[in-house]
Amino acid sequence: MKKKTVGLTASIILILILIAGIFSVAYGALTAEEIIRRRDDNEYYDSARAEAELVIINRNRRIVKTMTSYGQGDNGLVVFTNPRDRGTKFLKRGDDLWMFFPDAEDLVKISGHMLNQGIMGSDFSYQDMMEADKLIDLYQFELVGEEELDGRPCYVLEGTAFEGKEVSYYRRKSWIDKERFVGLKEELYARSGRLLKVMTVTKVQEIEGRWYPLASVMEDKLRKDTRTEFIIKNIEFNPEIPEGTFTLENLR
Amino acid sequence: MFLTKLALKNLARHRNRTLITASIIAFAVFFYLLLDSLIGGMTEMSYEMIINYEAGHLQVVTEEYWAEEEKLPLKNLITPEPELMTAVKNVPGYLGSSAELNFQAMVSNGVNELPVIGRGINPPDFAGVINLTDYFVEGEMFRVGERRAFGVSPAVIGKRLADLLKVQPGDYLTLLVKDRHETFNTIEAEITGVIHTGNPLVNEGLVYVPLDVAQEALAVGDRVSKVLMKLENKNRAPGVAKELAEQLQTINPRLAVYSWDQLEAVTVAGAKQMGNRLIMVIILLIAAIAIINTVILAALERMEEIGMMKAMGFQTKEVIYTFVLESTGIGVLGGILGVLLGLAGVGVFTVVGLDFSGIIDMAPYGIPVVGKIYGVWNPLSFVTVFAFGVIVSLFSSILPAYWAADKDPIKAIYPK
Repeated sequence: MKKKTVGLTASIILILILIAGIFSVAYGALTAEEIIRRRDDNEYYDSARAEAELVIINRNRRIVKTMTSYGQGDNGLVVFTNPRDRGTKFLKRGDDLWMFFPDAEDLVKISGHMLNQGIMGSDFSYQDMMEADKLIDLYQFELVGEEELDGRPCYVLEGTAFEGKEVSYYRRKSWIDKERFVGLKEELYARSGRLLKVMTVTKVQEIEGRWYPLASVMEDKLRKDTRTEFIIKNIEFNPEIPEGTFTLENLR
Repeated sequence: MFLTKLALKNLARHRNRTLITASIIAFAVFFYLLLDSLIGGMTEMSYEMIINYEAGHLQVVTEEYWAEEEKLPLKNLITPEPELMTAVKNVPGYLGSSAELNFQAMVSNGVNELPVIGRGINPPDFAGVINLTDYFVEGEMFRVGERRAFGVSPAVIGKRLADLLKVQPGDYLTLLVKDRHETFNTIEAEITGVIHTGNPLVNEGLVYVPLDVAQEALAVGDRVSKVLMKLENKNRAPGVAKELAEQLQTINPRLAVYSWDQLEAVTVAGAKQMGNRLIMVIILLIAAIAIINTVILAALERMEEIGMMKAMGFQTKEVIYTFVLESTGIGVLGGILGVLLGLAGVGVFTVVGLDFSGIIDMAPYGIPVVGKIYGVWNPLSFVTVFAFGVIVSLFSSILPAYWAADKDPIKAIYPK
């Protein structure tokens, strides 16, 4: 008799799971994990080459820096091309970051506290540049609602860092386009709950079959009247990157 | 004996020359003593600044932490267990101890951000090692467990930082920190006090917050970076450090004790003072050249006199003896005069002091001192520089005296 009850309960649970599965597929209801995974698929690449512009706006001051960047797995290289900073380079290899100043012919390793400071006075910190891991590996996401953002329907997700994972921002709230699966806005919070940064994507475009954010604005909420626009002028996925691009020798 | 008497008589006979030469020596001695006192005072003061505002006399830390202290890591911290604290409190000449947690932070007033060092302290313990009471220009130190409205932490900052951020007591700051897991966290703080000390680092680069607030924000539990200790006498620190270190081995073999003289800042300050000493040596060399010059000229001027002495039957060595003795007499006279002047000058320096703050900012020159600099008494310098004056006078007279005494008396009397 007891055996029969257990068997019946198991069957009911199994049926419920199946029904839940069929319904979620039928109605297109995705779990938070699936949404993030699809976003990661869009926004993370194995390798890319891009030409971009960094517009740093501090009160009435506006500074424009242009750069060419290369990314491959854990490595990245940024070469500034605007006249003032021409030849200044950043090299990221795994968890290490170096900077090369051509005028002083000086190679500086950026570590510790310096990582938290803004790149060339912008609202993007070196740390922001260093985070290359897929969000799904770092955060436990939860779907908290759906909202419309600038006319685009979005999923609103909240991610909390997995215990023991080394992440800069403890919590992040993301607005992800329901159709294109691109993050349109992101709020980054400290462990204390304080809002530190807000990133808003202002232009999304389909490139090589994937939707990719081409322009975004970052605002450091601990400073007033500052924001930095990051505009990608041209991006190429899986390009030919010469061997030795991500070496210290190449920096000099 | 006759020669000695003659030499002394010569001193009195050529009174003007004796006085002029002696005053040159006196001036060199005096100048040296003043500078020595001032440099000594600066060294002593920069040590006091480091001891009184930053480091105390002894520091208990783990060796691994000490090795990379400048990065202010949140690894290799220590837990101030009762056993450890008892051992600390039982050292001879113990005056106080304070556990502190140091961390890197960006401080923001809502408009701008600046990098600072955050220091979590427990005010009563802290006051036992580093007494800031007299240095508050506004507000006061926070109390244990004190929280401002909405659970905001109290904070004390330096005057220069307050000026840079344009804040005053009652204003709010946000400290952006990275906790032990490398995750951003913030400490919301209200300024309760502003201090202005003689230490530039404290004035512009430090933010004091309650220890428990720092520990919670950095997720380090009850651990601290180090335990600072103050003793009755700083000169006993190296000995006590050694004893305590041995004792602590039984509690935790990773623990080490460092005395103030092992601090990098002190070593750097010491090295800079070595540079200053080199300048002093150059000053002495210039003084020596002046003395030699005067003595040589004095000897040459009396060539005829030497010739006369030789003609009267004096032996060369007797002439040399007389001249060397005379010259040494001038050295002694100048030395005594210089030392007397030095006593007065150094006395004024130690009591009144010199105010450099209005003239130049000394910090860029590696002297972490603001405000008045007082001289110090250094008896050894008095003895050394006196001996230097006498010996230089003595040796510089030998050669010209020998040269003159060795001449044919006729040529010495009638050089043409």
